[in-house]
Amino acid sequence: MTLDFAIVVKYQDALLLGLWMTLKLTLICILFGCVLGFLLALARTSSNVVLRGVSSVYVEFFRGTPVLVQLFWIFFCLPLVLGIELSNLASGVIALTLYMGAISSETFRAALKAVGREQMDACVALGLSPFARTTSVVLPQAVLRAAPTLLSNCVSLFKESALVSAVGMADLMFVGQNISNNTARPIEVLTVVALIYFAIAFPLTRAVTVMEGCILKKLAI
Amino acid sequence: MPDSAPLVRIEGLHKSYGGVVKVLQGLDIEMKAGDRVVVIGPSGGGKSTLLRVLMGLEKIDSGSVSFAGKSYISADGGRTAIDAKVRRSIGMVFQHYTLFPHLSVLGNLVLAPMKVRGEKRAAAEERAMALLTRFGLAQKARSYPAQLSGGQKQRVAIARALMLDPKLMLFDEVTSALDPELVAEVEQVILQLAQQQMPMVIVTHDMWFARNIASRVIFCAGGVVVEDGPPEQVLGSPKGERTREFIERVFHIRH
Ligand SMILES: Nc1ncnc2c1ncn2[C@@H]1O[C@H](COP(=O)(O)OP(=O)(O)OP(=O)(O)O)[C@@H](O)[C@H]1O
Ligand SMILES: [Mg+2]
Repeated sequence: MTLDFAIVVKYQDALLLGLWMTLKLTLICILFGCVLGFLLALARTSSNVVLRGVSSVYVEFFRGTPVLVQLFWIFFCLPLVLGIELSNLASGVIALTLYMGAISSETFRAALKAVGREQMDACVALGLSPFARTTSVVLPQAVLRAAPTLLSNCVSLFKESALVSAVGMADLMFVGQNISNNTARPIEVLTVVALIYFAIAFPLTRAVTVMEGCILKKLAI
Repeated sequence: MPDSAPLVRIEGLHKSYGGVVKVLQGLDIEMKAGDRVVVIGPSGGGKSTLLRVLMGLEKIDSGSVSFAGKSYISADGGRTAIDAKVRRSIGMVFQHYTLFPHLSVLGNLVLAPMKVRGEKRAAAEERAMALLTRFGLAQKARSYPAQLSGGQKQRVAIARALMLDPKLMLFDEVTSALDPELVAEVEQVILQLAQQQMPMVIVTHDMWFARNIASRVIFCAGGVVVEDGPPEQVLGSPKGERTREFIERVFHIRH
């Protein structure tokens, strides 16, 4: 068997389009997912029992079920429950946002815990309102502390996003699969697809390590 | 405010943690505007708790605190009412600095004035620089807390509290976490404030500092005031057996 990687070059436009879809989807879901995750983390640390209960159930459920099942459920069941049609993109975004919300909320929760009571005492002693406390002290410190782990969450999301190909979204994985089926060249095409994912994810995972060092140094007081 | 009216009046203050650990058990203290009160007492005797209550950081079980003739903290039926406006005229410095690590020194100082009083950044920064200059920290304005020594951090924490023009300052063992050679620079700053007639309540184990700063010393143990008087008397010739024993043990051995 001879390998012919030149075949991949022929399909580079399609692959790039797929990559663009993957990146777009990932970035949108990172954005929404982080906001959701931060709110969930606040809810999980709140004194309100109902908020705490609901958010805990949510997080544990989404962390404890396969993303693929979540995705299928949202793609096939949610439209039936809500009685509306959802586009591929919409269901992909919803599913991955909910997933990102769940995993990032754990990251934020750990970071919020690390902000600690002494910082809150200082805020109260300075007369800062609960809103100012959250936006000027807790949020920036939690984000800083959470940043390295959040970045690994983002990398996970980027990789998990390949699952949306299963519901027919034209992301990098979907395009790669199609090309490999049509050309009967799975080794070349899928290898290149894997390398593209790796080329993006690897520098980011390296960055996590570097970032951890910098942030720990800054927050060490 | 007439001269005779107390700045702080603590009446029948009871405070426990979760109803189990009874820390303050009927504390009565009256503090005049000119007073610089040093609170001493055994570890676990409730000194920090007293200061935290005065700062409005803790719920109380019963009793009341008034400030400059106004009701400040009161307890009724398990709830603690704290007047947030009165609280703003009190500043506190903690043992462990508690600076905001994500903000520069200048950022730490201007945050509360901007958020609490709506002061403009430029105006707040100008006041902050003046304070930092006074405390010998002007060249550190753009540094982050992690880049400062303990003594510098604590001076920044004091400056940060002063930015809100407090009418009363609370210091809870502010030099105990410092290396010995850094203690003096922080104590000097507090002595400077004392010269400007800033009313303060200070918890310290430092005999030299207590003698030099106090206009009045209170010995607290078992959640009540055991002895209360001028520093020469309480530190020099304490009346009570417990006070004498404590002072000999804690101060005279160390110094
Ligand atoms: N948040 C809390 N929850 C439960 N118990 C507490 C809490 N804070 C303090 N205590 C307890 O209350 C008592 C008084 O503590 P406090 O810190 O006021 O003493 P202190 O006089 O400041 O002692 P030290 O000289 O060691 O600082 C101690 O027995 C302590 O264990
Ligand atoms: Mg203490």
